[in-house]
Amino acid sequence: MSLDIRNVTKVFPGPRRGFFAKSEGFTALDDVSLTVKKGASFGLVGESGSGKTTLTRCILRLENLTSGSILFDGADIHRLPPQEMRRLRSRLQIVFQDPYASLDPRMTIHDIVAEPLVIHSDSVNMTARQRTERVVELLLQVGLRSEHLFRYPHEFSGGQRQRIGIARALAVGPELLILDEPTSALDVSVQAEVLNLLHRLQTELGLTYFFISHDLGVIRYICDEVAVIYRGKLVEQGQVAEIFDFPKSEYTRMLLDAMPDPDPDRSPFRRAG
Amino acid sequence: MTLLKISNLQLSMKSYEGETPILHGIDLTIKRGEVWGMVGETGSGKSLTGLSISRLIPTPPGRYLAGSIEFQGIDVLKATDREMRALRGRHLGMIFQDPTTNLNPAFRIGTQLVDVALHAGHADPSVLGLSPGASRRQFKDAARQTAIDMLGKVGIPNASERINDYPHQFSGGMRQRVLIAMAMIGKPDLLIADEPTTALDVSVQAQVLRLIHELVAERNIGVLLITHNLGVVAQICTHVAVMYCGRILEAGAVHDVLKRPSHSYTRALLDSVPTVHTKRGELRGLGDLQPEALA
Ligand SMILES: Nc1ncnc2c1ncn2[C@@H]1O[C@H](COP(=O)(O)OP(=O)(O)OP(=O)(O)O)[C@@H](O)[C@H]1O
Ligand SMILES: Nc1ncnc2c1ncn2[C@@H]1O[C@H](COP(=O)(O)OP(=O)(O)OP(=O)(O)O)[C@@H](O)[C@H]1O
Ligand SMILES: [Mg+2]
Ligand SMILES: [Mg+2]
Repeated sequence: MSLDIRNVTKVFPGPRRGFFAKSEGFTALDDVSLTVKKGASFGLVGESGSGKTTLTRCILRLENLTSGSILFDGADIHRLPPQEMRRLRSRLQIVFQDPYASLDPRMTIHDIVAEPLVIHSDSVNMTARQRTERVVELLLQVGLRSEHLFRYPHEFSGGQRQRIGIARALAVGPELLILDEPTSALDVSVQAEVLNLLHRLQTELGLTYFFISHDLGVIRYICDEVAVIYRGKLVEQGQVAEIFDFPKSEYTRMLLDAMPDPDPDRSPFRRAG
Repeated sequence: MTLLKISNLQLSMKSYEGETPILHGIDLTIKRGEVWGMVGETGSGKSLTGLSISRLIPTPPGRYLAGSIEFQGIDVLKATDREMRALRGRHLGMIFQDPTTNLNPAFRIGTQLVDVALHAGHADPSVLGLSPGASRRQFKDAARQTAIDMLGKVGIPNASERINDYPHQFSGGMRQRVLIAMAMIGKPDLLIADEPTTALDVSVQAQVLRLIHELVAERNIGVLLITHNLGVVAQICTHVAVMYCGRILEAGAVHDVLKRPSHSYTRALLDSVPTVHTKRGELRGLGDLQPEALA
């Protein structure tokens, strides 16, 4: 498995300014190229609105590319016939950024986590009972309990919903997991657990991660390689340790400086007294 | 001056498995000029505490078993709906953790901000810089200008143009900033912000923290900041409350709690933050800390 993003550009049509006035589009991704290697964790950091989610949507073919291509194991995702795309989708799962919007409020947790197993029943092939057992196993894996099975999303806290999203993404045993801010809704102790869980799953299952985060500490902890994106353009990429210790771009340096320090004595805001 | 006093708040919620106690007696007092951080386990009841202050938990499924919430002399749990509507959006600003409850995908960002500004302006025209006798037109114009200014203040470039966008045209972090703008428009006395910077990158986060800090400095408001980020707490909070399983385990001045935590759970939280030196797989988390030891 490998994921190759080659010169991807994505332009959104601009707002309509009137009947005839053509407005310029908005370039959300500008000639982005990167390679995610099998079994590795690739981190993507960048400010809000820089195009990170757009890139994941392009990988999942939820957006069309304006130009460029995305190769999964050498196959051009955007040119695959629907049947093959479906097969590929079971090897590539996503944990969405927003744990509130991404879970269907009318479905129980059981159905949400089991859904990918149903969608990919041609390749997964499980009885309803096996599916339920698998769901329970997944819930335990992410630190939820089987009593939660028939609850609805609104009955969970933000962090609990995020774990449901992770359980769901793991259901079909994917090879590549795209994680869009997977731990930002979690408290730090649970984040630590989820990060350790992701790390464990990676070694056990040989998973590959494409990991989006604002939290440079998290990226540093979990990723091997990192790319920094700014306004749709990659400003630098390389080994995590290298980029974090010797950032080349002004922007990366600024990001590192802006990380809030958990020591109250180092607050720029703290007033005397 | 005390803005908010929560005493012995006990809440239970009904769900599929029956009624579960969620809050086991919360006590919290917030004075003007104080920025309270609330940290703790996911699912420990932080959001439900915040929502209770604005009385936004429907009963049922919620049920208050005991306790009271007093905000500026008003007994929140007993106030009329009308009194509560007057408080929300004006004296009580809220940023919810769940962004879908705040932004309607069918309306332009600007329309939604202007609505909030008008609501606040009708409760108190000075919020829009108007006198009570101002005309309808003046209200509309001022509300629009306030909306654009606030959007600019939270760091949305080209605010006067982007105000015409729909929510789906904004990134996750930009939508979060719209919500922050919305909560600030009414110039509230108490700001309840539930994970306001979670979706934001560090640079925008710093901007939002500065904004909150300025609001406190300028208007002497009180803030309840619910967050998972201990760095954020260390930066702008004056006080912090650590929650676990529906209880406040420890609370106090930010220096005392973060530098000399008295509770093992707080220490475990501090140890869970990955630093430059943490090796992969070695992050501590709660480790062997037993939940029973915490209750
Ligand atoms: N459907 C759309 N139409 C127009 N513009 C869009 C659309 N979707 C995204 N954009 C714009 O593309 C840019 C990148 O958005 P994207 O969601 O990829 O950001 P992001 O890096 O994920 O940010 P965040 O960290 O805040 O989630 C933003 O400026 C956004 O306004
Ligand atoms: N509508 C509901 N019905 C039943 N239980 C609920 C409901 N809403 C929340 N809960 C439960 O109440 C508890 C507290 O939830 P709350 O949202 O306050 O947690 P939180 O501390 O804000 O967590 P997070 O940090 O993950 O946002 C959780 O265990 C949750 O499952
Ligand atoms: Mg995003
Ligand atoms: Mg919450």
